[in-house]
Amino acid sequence: MSNADELARRARLRVVELAARKAIHLGPALSLIDVLAALYTRILRRDPARPDWPERDLLVLSKGHGAYGLYAVLAELGVLTTDLNELPGHPSDGIPGIEAATGALGHGLSLASGLALGARLAGKDRRVYVITGDGELDEGSNWEAAQFAAHHRLGNLVAVVDRNRFQQEGDTEEVCALEPLADKWRAFGWRVGETDGHDITAIGDALNALRAGDTPAVLIAHTTKGKGVPFAEGDPSWHMGELDAVQHRIAVAALTTTA
Amino acid sequence: MTTTSIPPAHTSVAPQSMRVALAPVLAAAVAADAGLITLGADGRALFQQVLEQNPRGYVDAGIAEANLVGVAAGLARSGLRPVAAAMAPFLVRRAYEQIRLDVCVPGLPVVLLGVGGGLGYGPLGPTHHATDDITLMSAMPGMKVYCPADAADAVSVMRAVLADASGPAYVRLSARPDPVLPPAASTGAPHAPRLLRDGDDVLIVATGRCVAEALDAADGLAADGVAAAVASVTTLHPFPATAIRELAGRRPLVVTAAESLAPGGLGPSTAEALGRRGPAVISLHTDHRYPPVASHQDLLRFYGVDGQSIRSAVLSYRNRKTREA
Repeated sequence: MSNADELARRARLRVVELAARKAIHLGPALSLIDVLAALYTRILRRDPARPDWPERDLLVLSKGHGAYGLYAVLAELGVLTTDLNELPGHPSDGIPGIEAATGALGHGLSLASGLALGARLAGKDRRVYVITGDGELDEGSNWEAAQFAAHHRLGNLVAVVDRNRFQQEGDTEEVCALEPLADKWRAFGWRVGETDGHDITAIGDALNALRAGDTPAVLIAHTTKGKGVPFAEGDPSWHMGELDAVQHRIAVAALTTTA
Repeated sequence: MTTTSIPPAHTSVAPQSMRVALAPVLAAAVAADAGLITLGADGRALFQQVLEQNPRGYVDAGIAEANLVGVAAGLARSGLRPVAAAMAPFLVRRAYEQIRLDVCVPGLPVVLLGVGGGLGYGPLGPTHHATDDITLMSAMPGMKVYCPADAADAVSVMRAVLADASGPAYVRLSARPDPVLPPAASTGAPHAPRLLRDGDDVLIVATGRCVAEALDAADGLAADGVAAAVASVTTLHPFPATAIRELAGRRPLVVTAAESLAPGGLGPSTAEALGRRGPAVISLHTDHRYPPVASHQDLLRFYGVDGQSIRSAVLSYRNRKTREA
């Protein structure tokens, strides 16, 4: 197991421990952890000793309900040293490693566009990454931002869609179909990649392949909601939930056995 | 409503546009400060001179107010000072969540300009009216809310908000040219209410376009034998409560006038400032009645916030008090 895979496994264990203490957005946190592991180990330019290093790349978690996944990764990296149980269910300002408060859906892509434009205006070669949910793309403001970013040729902006195919109430294609999703982004003027969202090497390769270009890029990461916890995988009822003692034991065993 | 009211006649100077007055101010500010960035939503009147002189100092978001505000927040997080403008009804209603969560909760220094707040778009109808902008913006955490009374006041406000990077600000701008007020109404610090006319019988406190209406009412009241003082309030949040108390003094009656819904606006703020032991307070403001197709001036009359309505409110109160005596 690579360091990045081990980071992801340990981060999932942290999420499971949190879910044993209170109801959290379990499924959405688990689906994005491999994307985060790839970003933090291979892609983001950052200074491990200084989370606020002015030249760092930025990551905005637009799907703010995945917060505990991000907190868990930041804890594994040593950026967060507080008790994760005390942190809010959506990213807030003032938390080390958090670039922007998010959680109301459909905000992150606009914020990230402003950050990317701000970097360009300031002459910085910084890149800005934003992770959106797939259900989140129902929000029309995303498409305002998609049009804006392409028009202004924000080549330093990269979106990753956590394509776990579920939103709160069920299959994204049954609630309000998103497909053909890649074609929609292309039609808006974005460069598009697709990858297995749980293959950390493939995610990193795909993001590197999207690096060069003078238009914004999006990586559709095909993921499994609840990834790593067998009974939660692909089950939308675990969008939010609390693990009882038996479920907790099964989850920990699954994540320990794969080590 | 088919008749056309006559606008206030207290000045002979031609009405002036806030947008025309602000355009060179914004262009000069962008030229002087590379950190200042202007954004519009397919409305360039305010920023045409910025665009001509410093093309990099203007960003057009298109007709997409939510994204406009989100991008402005991202720019502010990058250390820039964004000044974002859109038509008031669409800026405050479509982008409400972005204004609250992306700008106000983190306290970013974003200046929002709402063009055509109140009833200024007149016959275009209620889609284009924004009598709720002051109410909605007053509910935002940390938002400073300004309602300038004429073009010169708008310039004064703009200079003040550009010099203040402490947090977000909303400025209601007029859709069309406004009557030009006496210099006392439009020069000096916008944070302090200004006494434009003195009189012992009643204090009329007004904001925005209603300041001109208040002066018109005071002229009429003088003919009625009533000495009315008129004060202009440009900063609605934080509300200058102490200054209002001092202005009210010993006068028995204070009338407020604003082309806004009441909550969070001039009337309730004035009443709160004066307290239950202070003078009687009559709040004139708009309500939720569906408006007729009418000019701005006639809509002010329809909602009871024009000069004649202010004058009538004062006379009615005095008549009632006389009968009670």
